[in-house]
Amino acid sequence: MELGCTGKILVVDLTTGGIQTQTVADAVYENFLSGLGLGAWYLYHNIEPHADPLGPQNVLGFVAGFLTGSGSLFSGRWLVVGKSPLTGCWGEANAGGSFAPAIKQCGFDAIFFSGISPRPVYLFADGNRAELRDATDIWGLDAGATEARLDAMHPGRKRPRIACIGPAGERQSLIAGVVHDGGRLAARAGLGAVMGAKRLKALALAGSQRIKVAHRPEVLRLSRDVSAMVQHQPPFVSGKVAAYLGRLVRALPTQMETDGLIYKTILRKWGTVGMNQMSIEMGDAPVQNWRGTHHDFDLDTSSRLAPDVFTRPVVAKYFCYSCPLGCGALVEGAPGKPRTHRPEYETVMALGPLCMNADAESIFQMNEMLNQAGMDSISAGATIAFAMECYEHGLITRADTDGLALTWGNSAAMVALIDRMIRREGIGDLLADGSRMAARRIGAGSERFAIHAGGQELPMHDSRFDPGFALHYTVEPAPGRHTVGSLLYYEMFQLWRQIETLPDPSRFYLKRSKYDTDVEKARMAAACSQFVNLINAAGICLFGAFLGVHRLPVFQWLDAVGGRPRSPVDYLRIGVNIQTVRQAFNFRQGIDPLAVRVSDRALGRPPQSRGANEGRSVAVEKLVEEYFGQFDWDRHTGRPRDSDLKKIGL
Amino acid sequence: MAYTITDSCIGCGMCKLVCPVEAIEGQPRKDHRILAPRCIDCGACGRICPQEAVKDPSGHVCQRIRLRRRWPKPRISELACIGCTVCIQSCPTSCLGLTAPGGSVESVRQAMLVSPEACIGCGICATDCPVAAIEMVAPEPF
Repeated sequence: MELGCTGKILVVDLTTGGIQTQTVADAVYENFLSGLGLGAWYLYHNIEPHADPLGPQNVLGFVAGFLTGSGSLFSGRWLVVGKSPLTGCWGEANAGGSFAPAIKQCGFDAIFFSGISPRPVYLFADGNRAELRDATDIWGLDAGATEARLDAMHPGRKRPRIACIGPAGERQSLIAGVVHDGGRLAARAGLGAVMGAKRLKALALAGSQRIKVAHRPEVLRLSRDVSAMVQHQPPFVSGKVAAYLGRLVRALPTQMETDGLIYKTILRKWGTVGMNQMSIEMGDAPVQNWRGTHHDFDLDTSSRLAPDVFTRPVVAKYFCYSCPLGCGALVEGAPGKPRTHRPEYETVMALGPLCMNADAESIFQMNEMLNQAGMDSISAGATIAFAMECYEHGLITRADTDGLALTWGNSAAMVALIDRMIRREGIGDLLADGSRMAARRIGAGSERFAIHAGGQELPMHDSRFDPGFALHYTVEPAPGRHTVGSLLYYEMFQLWRQIETLPDPSRFYLKRSKYDTDVEKARMAAACSQFVNLINAAGICLFGAFLGVHRLPVFQWLDAVGGRPRSPVDYLRIGVNIQTVRQAFNFRQGIDPLAVRVSDRALGRPPQSRGANEGRSVAVEKLVEEYFGQFDWDRHTGRPRDSDLKKIGL
Repeated sequence: MAYTITDSCIGCGMCKLVCPVEAIEGQPRKDHRILAPRCIDCGACGRICPQEAVKDPSGHVCQRIRLRRRWPKPRISELACIGCTVCIQSCPTSCLGLTAPGGSVESVRQAMLVSPEACIGCGICATDCPVAAIEMVAPEPF
């Protein structure tokens, strides 16, 4: 494969220190494209059944997308893949920054690590060499200090791009992630713990290789059109009005099909925190460990976490590689500390209303602590909310917490608790592996307060508000992820414009129709899974995909870069293949997909008695079989057919 | 495709020094050669070679530009640059960076030439810029 890809992967055995460059057959790219697909293909073949996620058999991969480095926009996403120690299932985590092109510029589409190093090491690669180097001196440093030190240690012409773990990953916290650029995290699935278990502190990549593209002028022409559209920013309402819009959405019995342009406008103006108050008001953001409502965290309270509160200290927008949107932002650090990243929506909600905390200052502080330690802020916030509910019910006492009063909204206690979780001290050690593991350790019925899917804490999108999330939290090979699909995402992707067989949702509909369990919902969910698999194989950002396929020319870019035109249906077939190989991966690891469940509370069992999601419960089980059927897997077990696996070379 | 060195080479080693990706090998006063898989077509070897012994991928002999300060440099349009950092990542010598933060949420840090002395005039930034905001311009003679 010469166009769009390098055709090569770097395979590192950390136990022996052996490093190999391997050529990947064209058929693999044909079936799986690159990025997530390449990672899934490699891990399926190279992780032994029932492997210990923190043992030497697990393989950790860093993959870059097919479109990265081609001149296309929104193509700066990279993924970490491996068997998740948090869920035991397929694990993947996605991040931006500038690490994705750095992988390809070293001449590889992906870098895989197996084994366990006898001492801390980091990988240095620059296109001409790839070496494991001693990391004893940087082991123990937080993420920012690690990057600064590695940057100073490599004063070559090309500055290295770095991905590393912080102390949380080193201590194998099962909710640890991989950090890049001072606070962009590939956070989910606990893959930072895998890196820590392998004693791999960092990757420093300083290559300059070029990516060959079939029709670069066409790629650039498409990019210029997208950029012009994204740069156009219509005047938009103030943050306060957005909150009232959320209230309106809650009050109306009907809903309107959502166009991603609205979301783009919010993201460009405020970043993801633009949804802070709106989400609480309309019932999208869970409150008080998923048992509360907007009554418990009312508009006056949430105004302390308003979008403008988080944009006030901003000094500049932060753009990932090849992004024309810039949803990130840099804020002034604490006195004596460097500039840092603004907290994202998920972080604010997990450390805010989920724990009944309205102290924005504490959220800035905790965000920075988690970023530097390399710990997932969603899982950390959700685990603290779990601990607070246990504390309320007397399952954890002040004696267990070494004096911390884990009452709802006690921000000072939250800051102290996060510090202990990072250090694994006392109660922090109990909670550092997420809520499911903590519930097992605490016992006494505390499992009912751990809100997760298959062990992964749920993100800040309420499955009772958009039941599409409930299905994806349940059926995805990587459970509990909000970055794959929902009814809202389906509306924004607008795939039916290019694939006529897909259902075209009504422009206006009754909200209660969202809870109908018809086949159409399963088809929409399967289309989301396929499309998001494709964009993760291409390296495209989900926020770009929200613009819709009629505005973001993903298929046209793929044609122009690869030089082998395919129809959108054929491209989605790649998404099917990726879903199938990941599902087969889970079966090989002994995972029964039907045993992966979302906690009852998040499905409205029992339903809430008030609030935006009052009386709602989601009959997700009824859709699971239909969803499996969309991929031609066994409808009752979810097992992919052997004939299908053979067709894609497995 | 890659650049090549002809037998006019005198082995002075200038190309080897300027090459940003260590794609040129050869002993002093011996013929040098370019390792095609490593070459990124930056053309710096052609601009520096005193013998004009370098051919571009089309087979044309590269013209020497005697003074390095006259080598083309990127001129970045403030109006067109969207701050996407593609050029910064593409640059083989990390000579591009971002402007200082403007101090507000509207502030977009644009690309700028932060280390002109490191620039090798390759134009990869201009080729890769997705919004055609970069043009390679030879500095005016003094």
